[in-house]
Amino acid sequence: MPREMAGRGVSPEEMKAVVVSYDMITAYGRGAGACWDGTMSGRTAVSHFDRFNTQAFQSSSAAIIRGLDYLREDSLVMQMMKQLFNGSAASIPGRSALILATTKGEIDLLERSLLTGQGEASGCNLNNLLQKVSRLAGIKGDGMVISAACASASAAVARAAAMIRSGKHDSVLVVACDSVTEFVYSGFSSLMALDKFAARPFDKNRRGLSLGEAAAYALLMSESRAGKEKRKTLGEIAGWGLSDDANHMTGPSRTGDGLALAITKAMKLAGTDEKDIGFISAHGTGTIYNDAMEIKSFNSVFREKKPVYSIKGGIGHTMGAAGLVEMIMALRALKEKTVPPTVNLEDIDDDATGWVSRRERSIGPDKKALLTNAGFSGINAALVLAP
Amino acid sequence: MISITGIGWINQQEYGCVMMGIQESYAVDALPKKKIFSHAFKNFGRLDSVSKMTCSAIALALKDAGIDCPPESKRDIGTIGSGSSGSLQSDLDYFRDYLDSGRTLSRGNLFIYTLPSSPAGEAAIHFGLQGPVFYIAGPGNSVATALRTASEIILNNEASVMLAGMTGPDSAVYFVLKKTSDAAGDVLCSYDYAMKVMETNSGLDDMVREFLNSMKGSVV
Repeated sequence: MPREMAGRGVSPEEMKAVVVSYDMITAYGRGAGACWDGTMSGRTAVSHFDRFNTQAFQSSSAAIIRGLDYLREDSLVMQMMKQLFNGSAASIPGRSALILATTKGEIDLLERSLLTGQGEASGCNLNNLLQKVSRLAGIKGDGMVISAACASASAAVARAAAMIRSGKHDSVLVVACDSVTEFVYSGFSSLMALDKFAARPFDKNRRGLSLGEAAAYALLMSESRAGKEKRKTLGEIAGWGLSDDANHMTGPSRTGDGLALAITKAMKLAGTDEKDIGFISAHGTGTIYNDAMEIKSFNSVFREKKPVYSIKGGIGHTMGAAGLVEMIMALRALKEKTVPPTVNLEDIDDDATGWVSRRERSIGPDKKALLTNAGFSGINAALVLAP
Repeated sequence: MISITGIGWINQQEYGCVMMGIQESYAVDALPKKKIFSHAFKNFGRLDSVSKMTCSAIALALKDAGIDCPPESKRDIGTIGSGSSGSLQSDLDYFRDYLDSGRTLSRGNLFIYTLPSSPAGEAAIHFGLQGPVFYIAGPGNSVATALRTASEIILNNEASVMLAGMTGPDSAVYFVLKKTSDAAGDVLCSYDYAMKVMETNSGLDDMVREFLNSMKGSVV
């Protein structure tokens, strides 16, 4: 079990949840640097792919990671995980708590079982994946899976930060993953949610999202433990808020009140005023309704427009992994004091004018970042990140 | 302190509210929706079986806790779902249906239930619950993990009331958790007592029986 801190006096410094290491693999390549450079270049990683037959679907494009073998012994996410933890597990304390965020995990194992008769469909049980990830990362104790649709990773980060803030744990590893499979692709296509080419978040002519795949991890520690172990602090999870629209299973609330509630909760918990927020990493899927809903939420919370961007035009919508990849990019943006451009943005939607940009923008010192995610069932998540 | 203020449960033959002492039988495939839900559940028939069981148990838990959820009103209540097999049955239903179509057509209405968080999401929509919604899994007793997390969310002031529970293949149980004063009269049992019951009872039916017995003996 992770080191329990409950029962002894815990100082405010110990309760601060900081990020001490992270890594990722996306369609831009291995590492946060590849994702940052790809996003800053304005080049999209969404392209035509032939992992499975897409003839019957709305699109034949996605942001996939090259070199992964489909329907092989290892699932797609485990192939990503093996690359991700190759050589880095040693720096992760074995007695950390583990939270795994995903929507469909190893669903390709179920596909393989039904298509070829190989393996058991139940092999895709999320607990199995949790155990495999635990072994790869060298975690000795139990962990848990959090699944909150496309807000899974930000919900997991919120719980990890809460576990540290409460003083119950001083080291929590958050891992997030999802892959592009026929199962998921056919589902989004049936919902008419895909852009035929590449997603154009906040664009006047946006038509839908592009699916992407990714795996990422972030190691969170109490500031006290990070200091004792002389770990470099990469940022702080200063606040978080989760909410539900209580409105519709697949469409967001037209008013944006659910996401606004999550943002308000996160800012309150962080003790942050709107003037402290330097930029917003939006969910920005590229669907008509999501992007419109987000801008409405931002308008209802902020009196002044903030720089907003989405990275989904570049790496696609990585579903359960999105929140963690976006958190890592937002921490990088805080460090660089630069707000990335929104990839594929050409003709800015009228409602988004003044919020989003095709170009990178600079931010002032001592600013915080707001990150938002939303998912099916009207689930919303917001994180406030400090440098 | 965190207390349990209501428990709703359902299996293939019976359903009930622990605090109110309600325990009723029903015929297979004849779920008495009018008795369980305080207002009509729109399109209940299109829900997958896990969502039907989850929403029924949540309706009973809210009733047990005396929480009225009229339509068109929203409240700060969160929901954490859990289960032993997640969305496996819905995954199979969706993908088999897609394969039967010759891998050309899939049904969005089946796809939405392939997310483990969808049953709790359906409940949030029907009852107007705007608090955190997610699904939790892990080794061991996942309902205990769900309750522990719900308790942390309340203590952290992230939501004022939380629902936490588990849906198995044939049954579901949901708990209502809230912060109460020591003198509160509407408490079924303490959070600590509930956790103790969960640690010693693995099956949902056993767990419910233990809570019902506790109520009769007033040991809580």
